[in-house]
Amino acid sequence: MTPGALSQGRAWLSRHGYVGLAALLLVLLAIASLIFTPGQFGWDAIWVTLGTAAPTLLAAVAVTPSILSGRGGIDLSIGPLMGVLNVLLVQYLIGTAGLSSPFVVVAAALVLGAIGGLINGILVGVVRLQPVVATLGTYLMFSGLAIWLLPSPNGTVPIWLTDLSSGGVLIPLIVVAAGWAALKWTPYYEHLMAIGGDERAAFTSGVPVVTVRILAYVLGGVLAGVAALALSAVLGSADPTVGPGFTLTAITATALGGTSLAGGRGGLTGALVGALDIFLLQNLLTHFNVSTFALQIFYGVILVLAVMSNAARLKVPWLRRGGTA
Amino acid sequence: MRALGGRHARSLAAGIVVILIFLAGSILVHGFGSFGSIRSLLLLGAFLGIASVGQTMVVLLGGIDLSIPFLMDFGNVVAAEMTGSGHPFWQVILVILVLAGLVGGLSGFISARLRIHPLIITLGMGYAVQGAVLLWTKGFPSGAAPQGLPGFVSVSAHIGPFPIPPIILLWALVAIAIEFLLQRTVFGRRVYALGSSPEAARLALVPYVSTWVWVFAVSAMFAAVAGVLLLGFTGSAFGDVGSPYLFQTVATVVVGGTMLTGGEGGYIGTIVGTLLVTELTMIMTSMGVSSAIEEVFLGAVVVLLVMLYGREAHVRERI
Amino acid sequence: MGVLADKREDAAAALRVHSLRIRAGARPIDVEIRRSEILGLAGLEGHGHDVFLETVAGVRSHTEGTIEAFDQTGKPAPLRSQRDAVRNGVVYLPRDRKTQGILPGLSVLDNFGVATLSRFATAGVLRRGAMEQTYRTYHERLAIHAESPDVPITSLSGGNQQKVLIARWMAAHPKVMLLNDPTRGVDVATRTALYDVFREASDREGISFVILSSQIEELLLTAHRVLVFREGTVFKELAGDEISSDAIIAAMFGRERA
Repeated sequence: MTPGALSQGRAWLSRHGYVGLAALLLVLLAIASLIFTPGQFGWDAIWVTLGTAAPTLLAAVAVTPSILSGRGGIDLSIGPLMGVLNVLLVQYLIGTAGLSSPFVVVAAALVLGAIGGLINGILVGVVRLQPVVATLGTYLMFSGLAIWLLPSPNGTVPIWLTDLSSGGVLIPLIVVAAGWAALKWTPYYEHLMAIGGDERAAFTSGVPVVTVRILAYVLGGVLAGVAALALSAVLGSADPTVGPGFTLTAITATALGGTSLAGGRGGLTGALVGALDIFLLQNLLTHFNVSTFALQIFYGVILVLAVMSNAARLKVPWLRRGGTA
Repeated sequence: MRALGGRHARSLAAGIVVILIFLAGSILVHGFGSFGSIRSLLLLGAFLGIASVGQTMVVLLGGIDLSIPFLMDFGNVVAAEMTGSGHPFWQVILVILVLAGLVGGLSGFISARLRIHPLIITLGMGYAVQGAVLLWTKGFPSGAAPQGLPGFVSVSAHIGPFPIPPIILLWALVAIAIEFLLQRTVFGRRVYALGSSPEAARLALVPYVSTWVWVFAVSAMFAAVAGVLLLGFTGSAFGDVGSPYLFQTVATVVVGGTMLTGGEGGYIGTIVGTLLVTELTMIMTSMGVSSAIEEVFLGAVVVLLVMLYGREAHVRERI
Repeated sequence: MGVLADKREDAAAALRVHSLRIRAGARPIDVEIRRSEILGLAGLEGHGHDVFLETVAGVRSHTEGTIEAFDQTGKPAPLRSQRDAVRNGVVYLPRDRKTQGILPGLSVLDNFGVATLSRFATAGVLRRGAMEQTYRTYHERLAIHAESPDVPITSLSGGNQQKVLIARWMAAHPKVMLLNDPTRGVDVATRTALYDVFREASDREGISFVILSSQIEELLLTAHRVLVFREGTVFKELAGDEISSDAIIAAMFGRERA
């Protein structure tokens, strides 16, 4: 390796160092997966595998902006939002209204997701509820709404959407990754990290704290819209019950990926790596025919250990909260 | 700034809402104001209230405990299994309390020692505990409710000649004990101090790690006890009995005016929050509202009530 | 002043710092603080006087050198942590009142008693009456302006919050009080009142004070001896009549007085 590449590698590491152990875990899990479950990672099968993982990956990305925005920011409603969007899109837009054109469905997913996120953003930014309280409220509302709209699974999805659960899965993932990369070039990204790091300092130096925070939740909502598309693709129908489960997985994945729950540190890479860890871990343990019960123990223990090893990174400024009176 | 006696202002506001909802219920639902219905309210509230004891203390400390539902499952299933294999009740409860305390204490220790947000640690520990329980029972918990337990928690149970289920009395005693612990003991004041400002408390030599360990241990123990009590109510073990309680315990605490940022609030608020959540659910159920709409409504109530009295200061006021 | 100073020179040591190095490469520090002495610390920002104070308080750990406190009989006890320090009567008032001092949202009484809870408890149960009574004596002595011990600490002015924090540590019956810029953000009247409190406590109760101050005037008014820090060590020690604004400023900038 040339010295140039080496120093480039170092620079990359220092920027993405927060991913730390999650990345190492990912490498190990990937090697183990290739050895034990090569069938799922062949040229054809890998797209299906990736398609199945996509809702988890995207949910983890969706919960990231709210966490980055700091001050206990967290969007518990991401899962139920995905669920209610799945019902609205598949049952109502595609089913009842018969609008199955990709443009209409994708646009609707993004807009409705943004609206959901905006509700959270206003509750947190303008009404100034604690994020856990606000998004717990919308969690209950979204999940209740989904079941009210559609008490049991129903509907079918157009063929283009089904494709998103195999080869087509690259489209949402690449679009999201490219969008995130583009976001990093904007002043908004700087502002988001600034308010997550030290809100008071950011405010004093003229960052529009409230707007930035609201937009973080809107961004999370839009990403939940993308995640809902991926979810609809995998399900192939509208199912009101599966959404809420994604909240805890998404939060787990982001924490595993080294994103600080205190805000200001972390990002897309962390969310994706963490989510892939979880997905591969579940996949592998299932393959080993480890009972789901043992899997559950593994899952919990690995989560705790991974977060512990990240402790210095996650060393939480909420301990130095002070002066909020 | 907050006026004198402000400590209870938010709980008081929530209390008024409880009464208003009760009055509305009496008008909307025939017989809602009756003795029998109040008894049901207190009975159902007792389960939620006891499960929320730990959440209250953890939130006062500035944390959050997501392992509560899993420890309820644990208490529920272990009690049934142990009773089924012939262990007397005192052994059952002792084993459950010790194990739950160890699990909770470990969560508290890791979170405090490594300064990791307890949200993730308690969630991970919860998954692990649930997995262990499922593995042990192979996914099909069996056994029976300890003798006498159904008579302790059922709606038709009574204390001597009084037609009041003993669990309501238990809840009252627990409430008094916890408020006493929080307000009148060294331990309780340390919980508030750490929740108010961890750094200032540490510089005043408030023991940080041990307080966290104990609070999380107590939280886990109360969750497990709530799981055992629910076993008496349902009669047979159910490995997922706790799941509605994950967010409900958080809801009762915040609706009762305890701030998630720590150091402000108390168990009185949680009692009020418990009654509010429970009566709301009862009214809607008896009006034939679907559980989906109930959920929507509960979410809206949480947001609206906290809007009334739990708003945070604007950043410009915190510089 | 002269007579008192002489008396203090003969007084027994309360605290001794021996070859303490607070910055790599800097000269180690040797200081002895006598009973009822008021020692001032001065220095430019970043020259180590605050690190020194925090290290003596045990808030910061040290690897080189020793810090010892002496009890009534003159027996030394080594201090390695803040817990050791407080146990041996060496207490510390932090610099940032808002984030390190007060417990926002809690009452004046809670804020007062937090460091001495077990003193007011029987088997873990607080004797609130006893605590309130003790608070009353400090309330009077420090002239704390608070309607009642139950009002939130944040409803008090900055100066009165600081008085409550000083009372918090006085109630621990300290032998040495380490104060990190105690009158920062405190109004002038309260400031003067606090100086009287410090002087009185040192004269009547034999408490020693180490006062770090960003106000030179404060040191002129209170200190019997001033240590001026420069580059992580004591650059100049001024005592008695040597203490003057010019001398302190000159030493802060590394000049011997002309």
